[in-house]
Amino acid sequence: MITFENVWKKYSKELFRPAPAALQEVSFSLQQGQTLGLIGANGAGKSTSIRLLMDFIRPDKGAIRLFGLPASNLSQRNQIGYLPETASFPANLTVLDLLRFTGATCGLPAKTSKERGEQLLRELGLWEARSKRLSTYSKGMQQRANFVLALLNDPQLLILDEPMSGLDPLGRGQIIGLIQRLKQEGKTILFCSHILGDVDRLVDQLLVLHKGRTLFNGAPATLLAAENASNIETAFLSLINHHLSEHYAA
Amino acid sequence: MLRKIWSLAELVIIDGLRRHALMGLVLLAFGLEAGGLLFFDFIPRDIGRASADFILSIGWLTGFLFLLFHAVQVMAWNEGRRTVHTLLARPISRTQYVLGTFLGLATLLILLNGILGLLGYGILSLIQNSVKLGGYFPQLSLVHYLLSWTGLFCIELMILAVILLFSGLVRGGFPVLLLTVSYYLICTGLPVVRNAFIAKPGNDTLHIDSTLQWLTAIFPDFSRFDFKALVTSEPSGIFLQHFSTDLLLMVLYLTGILWAASIVYQHRDLQ
Repeated sequence: MITFENVWKKYSKELFRPAPAALQEVSFSLQQGQTLGLIGANGAGKSTSIRLLMDFIRPDKGAIRLFGLPASNLSQRNQIGYLPETASFPANLTVLDLLRFTGATCGLPAKTSKERGEQLLRELGLWEARSKRLSTYSKGMQQRANFVLALLNDPQLLILDEPMSGLDPLGRGQIIGLIQRLKQEGKTILFCSHILGDVDRLVDQLLVLHKGRTLFNGAPATLLAAENASNIETAFLSLINHHLSEHYAA
Repeated sequence: MLRKIWSLAELVIIDGLRRHALMGLVLLAFGLEAGGLLFFDFIPRDIGRASADFILSIGWLTGFLFLLFHAVQVMAWNEGRRTVHTLLARPISRTQYVLGTFLGLATLLILLNGILGLLGYGILSLIQNSVKLGGYFPQLSLVHYLLSWTGLFCIELMILAVILLFSGLVRGGFPVLLLTVSYYLICTGLPVVRNAFIAKPGNDTLHIDSTLQWLTAIFPDFSRFDFKALVTSEPSGIFLQHFSTDLLLMVLYLTGILWAASIVYQHRDLQ
């Protein structure tokens, strides 16, 4: 469903300062129904990978394919639900305005769009606030509104950029529950997160990035065994420490 | 494709209509136009022309403020706050994004000009009825009045298209604002330079005049769309023919600039 082949990405240079590559020769693939967790420290290249998948930015080298088509091809967008890292809505709109927009651009009939929108708004506890401006929503409400918009077209693939960031424990629990339900429904999910405990509970496959390079790509159990750790957090820290000590030794 | 463009335009329109700053701008323009009722008593003669000038200048000023402080900011906010990611995550191309945003902002401009034009016509009619000596306000031509607002709208559309192009080329609202003001100053200054050059004999050997003429393809002569002086004169068929040629050129100009803006957006990384 997703193929990332030897992708390189360098952002444009600042004056007199060469920019390091944000991604270097990163490759991975994700099959239908799987959940991939993209983890790494700040600046590892997680958000760059997601922006490349969404065609917001273009790779310098390599190829990215979604549903067998180049990422720039619009015909597969109907099948994708995207959750941005930070809620970013036009200031004066309501969630209903954006639901109408999403329904119209995804080619959903108005009736279907309305019914599904109402069901999702009720499910995520936003029905009462549906006519309020999105700028008045709390962080958690904005994140849930983003989920409503991402799920309106019943997508096959979900790309979630830090879905739990900035949420309180209640909000986090609700979003984890939602992702687990979507996983059970057979959706393909790619998400990145700093909160490794959440990743532990959700993923079938892990991709660990560090400074734009792939440190690990495989099943979580393989990483735990390789690093002789009991949970993902410890395994991740151990992997990074090994990498750093090898780097300094070299 | 049109459905997607219109869906985006609708968002831009709704967002603009709910902006308090824009409501304030309309109220300010309302107040200024209504102020025309107070000051026309102080004009010794040619009251009609001065009043029409005043009403249309307020319309132009309001439109220019809208372009600089709303249109420029809409594009900058979309990128700076990454709203554009939310929009382009749907099956909508970057060309559709450019065209949808242009259509939405152009519709807001139509609404703005329509409201101010209607109020302005009412005020001009009131002034005309109040003037005792017919010679001071001989004629209020509705056709020419509408044409004057259409001319204003044409200028605003050209500036709007250029704002979309600049927003693709440079990042941030302030640089786009500066570029837009520079563009406007060049557009208004170029005809003056051309006239000054033509007036000097023996200057045509350097082909500067033809260069200046070709430059108007990039920096159009806005004075060709300024019909304020006609509001108080009789309609003329020959004049309308010239206007339709200019209108056609304006459509070609808009198509070219929006095409360039789409190409720029298609080939660049989003912030």
